[in-house]
Amino acid sequence: MNIKETKNISTPNERVEKALKLAHQGQPFLNAVVTFVDPENQLENLKNIHPDAAFYGIPIVLKDNVNMKSIKTTAGSHILANYVSQYNATITDRLQAAGAIVIAKSSMDELGMGGTNLTAATGPVYNPYDLSRMSGGSSGGSAVLVASGVVPFAIGTDTGDSVRKPASFNGIIGVKPSYGRISRYGIIPYASSLDHVGYFTRNVADAALALEVLAGRDDLDMTSSFEEVEKYSANLNGDLSHRKIGYIANVVRAIENQDVLTMFNSLIEKVQSTGAEVVPIEMNEDLLNAILPTYYIIANSEATANHSNLDGLRFGVQQAGNDIEEIMSASRTAGFGKLIRKRFVIGSFSLFVENQEKLFRKAQKVRRLIVEDLYRALNGVDGLLAPASSCGAPKLQDNSLDQLSSRYLIAENFMVISNFSGTPSLTQPLGYVDGLPVGINLICHPFEEKKMFEIAAGLEKLTGLADCIREVGE
Amino acid sequence: MENYNSAYFKQLAKQLRFDLSDQEAQDIVAEFDTLLNQLSLLETIDTEGVTEMILPFEEETTFMREDTVKNVFTVEEAMANAPKSKNDYFVTVKVVI
Repeated sequence: MNIKETKNISTPNERVEKALKLAHQGQPFLNAVVTFVDPENQLENLKNIHPDAAFYGIPIVLKDNVNMKSIKTTAGSHILANYVSQYNATITDRLQAAGAIVIAKSSMDELGMGGTNLTAATGPVYNPYDLSRMSGGSSGGSAVLVASGVVPFAIGTDTGDSVRKPASFNGIIGVKPSYGRISRYGIIPYASSLDHVGYFTRNVADAALALEVLAGRDDLDMTSSFEEVEKYSANLNGDLSHRKIGYIANVVRAIENQDVLTMFNSLIEKVQSTGAEVVPIEMNEDLLNAILPTYYIIANSEATANHSNLDGLRFGVQQAGNDIEEIMSASRTAGFGKLIRKRFVIGSFSLFVENQEKLFRKAQKVRRLIVEDLYRALNGVDGLLAPASSCGAPKLQDNSLDQLSSRYLIAENFMVISNFSGTPSLTQPLGYVDGLPVGINLICHPFEEKKMFEIAAGLEKLTGLADCIREVGE
Repeated sequence: MENYNSAYFKQLAKQLRFDLSDQEAQDIVAEFDTLLNQLSLLETIDTEGVTEMILPFEEETTFMREDTVKNVFTVEEAMANAPKSKNDYFVTVKVVI
C-alpha cells in the first residue's frame, strides 16, 4: 500500500501510534533508532496543513545527521553525543510543511563514513531478514525502519552508496537523485563533492511522490540546483516498451553468485519481453577498478577538512586538558571511533604536499575519466542496470572478501560512479537469495528522475516486489 | 619508499589532533599495503592533459539576491551547545599566559 492509499484508511494519530509501537517493538532486536521524537506538537501542527498535503500525518524517520530543532543530532559519533540542533535542515522544513511527522532519528555509521553501520556510536544495526547480518550503511537505521514496516519513508544520505546499498540488503527502494536536486542545508557533511540526500520507500510511487516534496532550489545551499522540479509521480504506468536500457556487462561478469545472476538474467528477459530494447554495455575495466581508490582519496580528504571543526571547544563532548591543544586532542581521541581516525589519517596522507599531485589531484583527474566513461555508456540509452550487490547482506563481522578482487572493486563499489557524476540512481528489490534480499540498481542521465521512476515502475511490475516488509519483535 | 611504520602514523595522527593506540597504529600499518595496492591502480591510468574534476556539475550557480534578514540565529542559540560559556563568550583554558 502506498502513502496516498494509506492516508485514506487511517488517521494521522493512528498511523503515528502504530509506527511508534512497531519502532519500540523492534528496537531491542534491530537497534535502528538513536532518538525517539515526541510527535505531539507535530500532530497538533497538522491543523495548519491541508489534508491533501503529500505526507499529511505520515510518520517518517530522519537519519541522525539531519538537523531537527531541539532534537539531538549525533551523526553516529560520540563527539556529538550531546549536540542539540538549534535549527531545522531545509528538508526537515519541507517534510513538515508537507505534513510529515518525524517519529525518530535513525542510526548511521559514524559521520556517514562506512558501509556497514557497524561503526555507529550506538552499536550495529541488525538486518530484519537475519539478525546475525548487517543492515548495510551508512544509512542503515533508516533502511531497517522502512524494511521492518515502522515507517513508509525515511531520509538517508549517500556519499558512496549509503542509501542504495542498504536498500539492496533490506529489500526496499533507495533513491539518490541528481547532485543538487535536494538541499543539503542543515545536514552534517561527509565529503561535500560527493554528498547527496537520499531516501528509502517501499514502492516506486512513494519514491516519486517524495522527490516532489524534497526537491527544489534552496539559496542556503550553494550547490542546490535551479532545475525545474517535475511532477515525478504522474503517469507511472510501468510501460517499458519504448525504452532502450543498457546493463553494465563488467559488473555482471564480476558477480560469482549464480542465484543473483539467474535473477538478473531472468529480469532482463522479462524487460525484453515488454518490447524494450536491452543492450549489454562494456565500461572501461581499468577505470571501474579505480573507482574505490579514487573514492577513498577524495572522500577521506574532504572529510578530514570538513570535520576539523569537531574539536569539543564550541560544541560537542569536551574532554579535560591543560591547554587548547590538549583539549582538542583528548576530545577528538575519545570522540572519534577507530575507523574514523584511520580514515582521517588516510585523508591527511593524501593531502600532504608531497602526495597531493600523486594522490589527491590524480584521483580528481581519474574521477573525470570515470565520469566521461559513464556518459559514454549512458549515451543512447535511457538508463543503465546492474545488480546492486553481489550477494545478500553479509554477516556482521564478515571480512572474507578479497579487497583487490573484481567482485569487491567492481561489483560491490560501482554505484559510487553516480556520486562522482551526480547522476540520479535508484536501487529496488530484484529478488531473494537464501531468504536475503538483493537489489537491482538503475542509473539515469542527470535530472532525468522522472524517466528513472518510470523505468523503475516498469521493473517493479515485472518483479512484483513492492511493499515488502519484514516485521521484527512480535 | 618511505617507511610507513607505527611511529609514522602516530605522528600523522598527532597533526590531526588525536592519538592512535599502539594497536590502532599497527592495524593501519598492516592494512596500508592493501591500500597502497589499491592506490597503485590509479597509476595505471593515463591522466596526461586531464583536468581535475572538483564537483559533479561544473556550471557556476552564482546569483544575485536581495540582502534580506532571514534565518536569524540568536546568541543563545549559538551558545546553546557550548561546553562552557560566560557573557556570550565561549570559555576555555587560558591561551596567553
